[in-house]
Amino acid sequence: MMRKILLYTALTLGALPMVYPFVWMLATSLKGLQEATTPTLSLLPEQWLWRNYLDALRAAPFGRYFFNTFFVASVTTAFVMVTSTLAGYVFARLQFRGRGLLFGLVLATMMIPFEATLIPNFVLVSRLGWYNSYAALILPWCANAFSIFLMRQAFLGLPADYFNAARIDGCGHLRYLAYVGVPLVVPMLTTVGLFAFLASYNSLLWPLVVTGDDSMRVVQVGLTVFAGDQGVRVNLLMCASLIVMLPTVALYFMAQRHFVEGITGSGIKS
Amino acid sequence: MRNFFFFCLLFGVALIGCGPAPVQNHASRVQFTPINSEVAAFWDRQTTDNAVLLHAITDEYNASHNGLPVKIVQTGNYGDIYRKVTASIHARTLPAMAASYGAMTLEYAKAGAVVSFDTLIDHPETGLTEREMADFFPAVIEANRYEDLDGEMYSFPFTKSVLVLFYNKRVLAKAGIDAPPATWDAFLAQCRAIKVATGNPAWAIDVDASTVNAMIFSMGGEVFRGKETLFDSQPAQRTFALLQTLARENLAYPIPPRTFNDETALAQDTIAFCFRPSSNRPYIEQLMDDPDAWGIAPIPQVDPEDPHTILYGANISIFDTTEEQRAAAWGFVKAFTSRDTSVRWSIGTGYLPIRKSAVDHPDMQRFWAQNPRNRVAFDCLSFAKSEPNRLGWQEVRGLIEKTATALLAGISDAPQAGADLKRTADAVLARQ
Repeated sequence: MMRKILLYTALTLGALPMVYPFVWMLATSLKGLQEATTPTLSLLPEQWLWRNYLDALRAAPFGRYFFNTFFVASVTTAFVMVTSTLAGYVFARLQFRGRGLLFGLVLATMMIPFEATLIPNFVLVSRLGWYNSYAALILPWCANAFSIFLMRQAFLGLPADYFNAARIDGCGHLRYLAYVGVPLVVPMLTTVGLFAFLASYNSLLWPLVVTGDDSMRVVQVGLTVFAGDQGVRVNLLMCASLIVMLPTVALYFMAQRHFVEGITGSGIKS
Repeated sequence: MRNFFFFCLLFGVALIGCGPAPVQNHASRVQFTPINSEVAAFWDRQTTDNAVLLHAITDEYNASHNGLPVKIVQTGNYGDIYRKVTASIHARTLPAMAASYGAMTLEYAKAGAVVSFDTLIDHPETGLTEREMADFFPAVIEANRYEDLDGEMYSFPFTKSVLVLFYNKRVLAKAGIDAPPATWDAFLAQCRAIKVATGNPAWAIDVDASTVNAMIFSMGGEVFRGKETLFDSQPAQRTFALLQTLARENLAYPIPPRTFNDETALAQDTIAFCFRPSSNRPYIEQLMDDPDAWGIAPIPQVDPEDPHTILYGANISIFDTTEEQRAAAWGFVKAFTSRDTSVRWSIGTGYLPIRKSAVDHPDMQRFWAQNPRNRVAFDCLSFAKSEPNRLGWQEVRGLIEKTATALLAGISDAPQAGADLKRTADAVLARQ
């Protein structure tokens, strides 16, 4: 019993630093600007300004931004899951000349920072006539090395006997993938999907660069309207940030079990 | 062998990626296409209330003018705008205009992407008359001429402000002070008195190169002449010595970069002074619980009879795309900087009206009558000057901030810091 109390006390103490920023966000979102900028340990607002949420949502067309964000993130996630499953399977199971080199080249793309590819990507998107379109927001991010790596590791973890048995029963690669391989790597696929969704959901610079219209913009761009050269409307920013953050938190809780399985299964520590 | 081949391939890819960016002679013509041919897109940085006003002004302009409508596109901060314009220059497709600082405009001009305003101003039909040009404060026009580009004007004033001193009357009163300092000696004395009375530092410093340069100007100095910087000059040395004294006696402290902690500390009666652009006035107004508890003054001077401060702010660059886009952009710039709109923009945002005739405008007079302290910044405009528009100056600004931070941290000595800064800054400028 004593051990349990100690364990829960330690866990609670460990959770506090994680939870406090969220509580602070919530408290700040309900304060006036003067109070929100006052450094104080007190979290409770003097006045509970619920209308801050209305003001924040009126500061930009957040409805449209949310639609765009979910559409772009969902389609991107679907593409990433398909491409990384296929590529991961190829690198894990298929034997062909140059496989190691090709996989090395794919991994090497992880060493190139986004900033270095921003201009060539923009030039390409622009010349294809995709500026200010969903294509510009989605297509450049439909495959990535990290997801391919994760799926390759997952497929490598499947015993070769499964594949051999499926072959005897007449399965080709695609059927094996659909009926045997993918169902067995669902935790990793969920992790890949979650990473892809979050990466797309949280991206700011690329959507800012390739869009020129509110009709194409996403929520992260919307958050920039609260910070100007003269100061930051920190209370309204916290309102909008909380609203923007909620779907990702909900998504994490929904996929938590698969996510943890996926992470432990891949050998990734952080 | 396979590894060696792989390494060579990677190295080759890296080498290709490190190739130089295309640079054009600013005089040569490069063909750019409009990023949106249906509107004259204006990539801008304004947010919140300023953005609302800018959109309203633009909508009214579009409703009353023929030709391409102007469309404001909020494009993040100035760094984001620079990245987006740079990418667009490579893609050969540009908006009609963008908000830009001098260093940004220089880069655009080097790539042959911006049009010279001299040509637009001198145009017999659509240009500006001598009388109209004389109505602009000379400093705001001169700030848009680029010596490295034959002194041509590649941008037009947009959001201008000057460095001013914001002060908290309640904190001053605690130290028995009834007026802000007019000289740097008085400033130091007041900081000491405030420290004694409150136990707190008097000034929270936003370590910004413009503030340091403004201090040098107000000490009677310059930061650049001919082909070299003047950070070892007496006014610069006095500035660095003052910063060192303030830090050593714990009369001032630096705030984290890119925060507004000095403004919040001022509003909370923690400090007495903060130096900020006059355009920050509306935000500080919102932070203050009592409208009479604070004031604005010109920054302290070494000689109040010969005052100086720094001119801040973004400009508008027009890109060299189609005639239709250029005409729409120039039409908008002229309308936006007209007397009436300039006054309206100033009252609504805290930026300065850039025309001398604004002083007599009834709306301006009414505004100043209701808020007398807001006139201070406008009065400073006549003696404000901008930083040099030189290639490499952005890098020099970083060196200035590094020097000021070292002085405030107590890890550098003023005379040596000035000499070191001059040496490194001159080397940067010589490299260009």
